[in-house]
Amino acid sequence: MALQDLRPMMERCSSCSGCKFIPFEKIQSVRFAENCPSIGYYNFHTYAARGRFQLSQSVLDGRTELTETVTEAIHSCTSCGLCDVTCKITRYNLEPLAHNLEQKAYAVEKGAVLPAQKTIMETLAKENSMIPGTKKKNRTDWAKDLNLKDLFKEKGEIAFFAGCKYSYDEKLQKTAQDAVRILQHAGVDLGYLGAADNCCTGRAKQMGYFKEFDKGANTNIKAFEKAGVKTIVTPCSDCYNSFKRQYAELGMEVEVLHVVEYIERLILEGKIKFSKSVPMTVTYHDPCHLGRQGEKFEAWEGIDKKIFNQIHIYEPRKPRYNGIDGVYDAPRNILKAIPGVNLVEMERIREYSWCCGAGGGCSQTLPEYSAWTAGERIAEANSTGADALVTACPWCKDNFTDAEDEDGNKMEVLDIIDLVHKAI
Amino acid sequence: MALAREVYQAFEDIVGNRNISEDIGVCETYRSIPSQTSAHYGPSKEWTPLPQAVILPGSTEEVQNIVKICNKYGIEFKAGSTFWATMAYIGGDNAVQLDMRRMKSIEIDAKNMAAVVEPFAIAGTIQAEAMKVGLNVQIPGVGCSSSTLASSSGWAGFGPASIFMGANPENLLGAEWVLPNGEILRTGSLGSGDGWFCGEGPGPSTRGILRGIFGPAGSMGVCTKIATRLHPWPGPKQFRTYGKAPAYKADFGDNFKCYTLCYPDWESWARSVQYFHESDVLYIGHRQFNMFGRNLKAFMLNIITDPEKQLSDLPELLKDPEIQKHNDNMKHDYQVVIAGMTKRDMEYKEKAIDYILEQTGGWKHEMMLEKEKHDYALAYMTRLGHKNLNYVMCGAYEGTFGLSGNVWKTIQVVEEASAQKRKWETEHTCIAATGGDSAMGGVSSLGGGGATGWEFFTNFDSYELESVQGTSDMVDENQAFHNKYAFGPDFCRWNSDVRHVNGYSYTQEEHDEMFAKAPQPWIYAYQYKIREAVNPNHLCGSYLRTLSPGKLEGK
Ligand SMILES: Cc1cc2nc3c(=O)[nH]c(=O)nc-3n(C[C@H](O)[C@H](O)[C@H](O)COP(=O)(O)OP(=O)(O)OC[C@H]3O[C@@H](n4cnc5c(N)ncnc54)[C@H](O)[C@@H]3O)c2cc1C
Ligand code: SF4
Ligand code: SF4
Repeated sequence: MALQDLRPMMERCSSCSGCKFIPFEKIQSVRFAENCPSIGYYNFHTYAARGRFQLSQSVLDGRTELTETVTEAIHSCTSCGLCDVTCKITRYNLEPLAHNLEQKAYAVEKGAVLPAQKTIMETLAKENSMIPGTKKKNRTDWAKDLNLKDLFKEKGEIAFFAGCKYSYDEKLQKTAQDAVRILQHAGVDLGYLGAADNCCTGRAKQMGYFKEFDKGANTNIKAFEKAGVKTIVTPCSDCYNSFKRQYAELGMEVEVLHVVEYIERLILEGKIKFSKSVPMTVTYHDPCHLGRQGEKFEAWEGIDKKIFNQIHIYEPRKPRYNGIDGVYDAPRNILKAIPGVNLVEMERIREYSWCCGAGGGCSQTLPEYSAWTAGERIAEANSTGADALVTACPWCKDNFTDAEDEDGNKMEVLDIIDLVHKAI
Repeated sequence: MALAREVYQAFEDIVGNRNISEDIGVCETYRSIPSQTSAHYGPSKEWTPLPQAVILPGSTEEVQNIVKICNKYGIEFKAGSTFWATMAYIGGDNAVQLDMRRMKSIEIDAKNMAAVVEPFAIAGTIQAEAMKVGLNVQIPGVGCSSSTLASSSGWAGFGPASIFMGANPENLLGAEWVLPNGEILRTGSLGSGDGWFCGEGPGPSTRGILRGIFGPAGSMGVCTKIATRLHPWPGPKQFRTYGKAPAYKADFGDNFKCYTLCYPDWESWARSVQYFHESDVLYIGHRQFNMFGRNLKAFMLNIITDPEKQLSDLPELLKDPEIQKHNDNMKHDYQVVIAGMTKRDMEYKEKAIDYILEQTGGWKHEMMLEKEKHDYALAYMTRLGHKNLNYVMCGAYEGTFGLSGNVWKTIQVVEEASAQKRKWETEHTCIAATGGDSAMGGVSSLGGGGATGWEFFTNFDSYELESVQGTSDMVDENQAFHNKYAFGPDFCRWNSDVRHVNGYSYTQEEHDEMFAKAPQPWIYAYQYKIREAVNPNHLCGSYLRTLSPGKLEGK
């Protein structure tokens, strides 16, 4: 697929503003009605899916150069996918997210990248990590005392995959360790890839580095195969999306579970029991890559054709990722099962949840914008009266932790694993 | 031609460097492609001109200062709020585009049943805020992503709920305008310092000049705030829904019902509409889903109300005899919503509908009584959040014909228009073959009832040149029909005398040539004088139809 192949899509966009708001039926206030962080921060039309479609046409027709402004516009898409959900409320043949990613890939190919992206990609090439300053040799340090089987050395079928953020970020490592302990305590025979544990490269794809993603993904798929892995469990929502959607597209057939799915399963099976009350009111943030982008991949091969002269259809019908089958209930069921926890919802939830701002590499490449995006969510979380904002992704958690709303208010931020651990 | 540095700097000094851009990539995204959005001079594949800069003002004062700079340097400008409509885009080379997006505040004045709103307050957010205090806002047929300020002060503003809530030209209570010369005009009670409650005074009423029936479409400066009338909402404080995307469904309670009412023929259809105009029963009334065409509407309803279905399921659904039967049963139809203010009121309204159906031989469409379809239609009609379904079939549509006026007049010609469209569906391939009749529009476009406003949804592919050109050819043929019945220009060409097909404004000479020959040329000469008074430098394009008074001589 190349950007030019999406030309029909670009020209069939109807300028309806659906990509600037949450689904209209879900709007409850003017304060929390908008959906796209990128246009929310930068304000120009260019930054919403509609403008992006138009920008691509102009670039392809040679009217627009990839200037610094255009480059920033392209890469400021957090690839949160909310415009994709909202556009598909009324359109069956437009896929703004696929376009946004393809637009980034085009820019990358032409060398139009952000300075911080270069550093990240150098780290990926050298150290197999998304986090500049980290070293491959330290990647599995976090797991030293956990009794995790190295699946290349010992037999096992379930691989725990922490991902770069949990592996290297000292503030977050304890959460990953607790996740492992919770699962082990429930009797799960858990292993990991040991020396073959590398970046999933999903964030590279989110930044438009498709080739680097393919390379990393194919290496990892082989490693999982070789290690005999049947199930991957990850506490990182970015990794989850990589394995469940992107790797599946490359042919990987391994079962993929986010930790919340596994914990929910273990609660239902009676293998996790809560003995302590955690008296607090919390609100839950759906990570984009676990929620609306957590739908499973479905293979499709077919054609698009027209019936009744001009009506555009796919034959056979094409899988439609519109976010509704993402992972939304598992985390909520866990929160409801924890004694003392009172869950209150924000206005933008589930498939129309606001992004934390970290996606698309933006927390590293455009930090001010990313912090603003997180601050918007803090404002929304605070408006519910909750004591804490709970999430299920290290990138989200990290981005929220120091974020402030427009009045300088902060909020306690917890990973759902932290809450589960407190209650056991 | 880039703006002179001093000019750019002057703009930047007003809004700050984050709120202005002359980057070509940014400016390119402020061009409209008329084949993709309601332009009324298309369809065409030509883009509107490239603005020299895009400016995002954040306050009335900033707007005023920008306009003063424009006057000082002779730069054209135009404001757009949501940019749904092509009218919002500039029409010349030496022009800047004002994007009003940063101004989006909403103040609800529950006591006076009004909302004071800024340009980027879309109807959906105003409705959400109004519902919290038991009120509602009239949403034009374009849908809730439209700017209420724009539809009140700028362009059109008629919708399914107009029968109960009036149209937005009627709902406009007061406005704050930065005139094209940079002066600020405050209309109605606002102009006398008495607040926003009345559009006609005490204080100046300029409804006829600045708004009129269709609106000046951005040619009379920039409106920065308006008050719009709100209306009773006897439903929940939140727009409560259930169901999966994209088929969200309403959960409003028992005092709301949405019916698809059907009639055996056009005569009884028109009689029923007339009864509704007389009876004050409807909250909403619109011939909505016929936009999918007479042959496809029941099938499309089965797709859009089911989250698992998509357009690709259409061929399979078309084989279903049960749906075909439903489709045959809804030939002469429209959708209505009734809202009970009290239990007795609801009972009365139900009875009134039954009585009208009895008098006219009509029926409630069975398929649309199924709970999920009912609740979907209720959500659809109340928020108009699914309006981009207008484009779902091919990526583009134009409203053609445009039968606006008395229902009895409309129904006499609707079959002939349908046959003409059907001919294009069967003899050509440029438009989607949906069954000829795809007339969609209000049961009334005026408060209380009166005129209908119908357009025939004509779906074509904006990506394919042949489809765009073919549709344009069809519209040319439709014009002969319009001339025969004195319906004026085809709906799709309403704006062909205010903007060239290539997106550029007309010059005064071109307008003089056109309007000197018009049946009532003095109207255009009058508008010329108004423009000279408030827009001496002619900076807002040619959407205001004007005739140089000198050209009137001898008439
Ligand atoms: C698909 C589609 C369907 C439609 N269906 C209907 C319908 O059923 N009924 C109906 O009444 N109308 C309809 N319209 C027209 C629609 O009403 C107008 O587009 C709408 O009322 C204006 O809101 P907007 O959000 O489109 O504003 P915009 O697109 O931003 O602007 C519309 C016009 O208002 C002017 N304007 C915007 N902001 C300002 C401002 N701050 N100051 C001065 N002028 C301003 C613009 O210059 C432009 O001329 C339709 C349009 C489309 C695209
Ligand atoms: S929601 Fe989709 S169709 Fe509407 S403007 Fe955005 S990209 Fe275009
Ligand atoms: S994916 Fe998210 S950030 Fe990117 S354009 Fe869409 S809504 Fe905006």
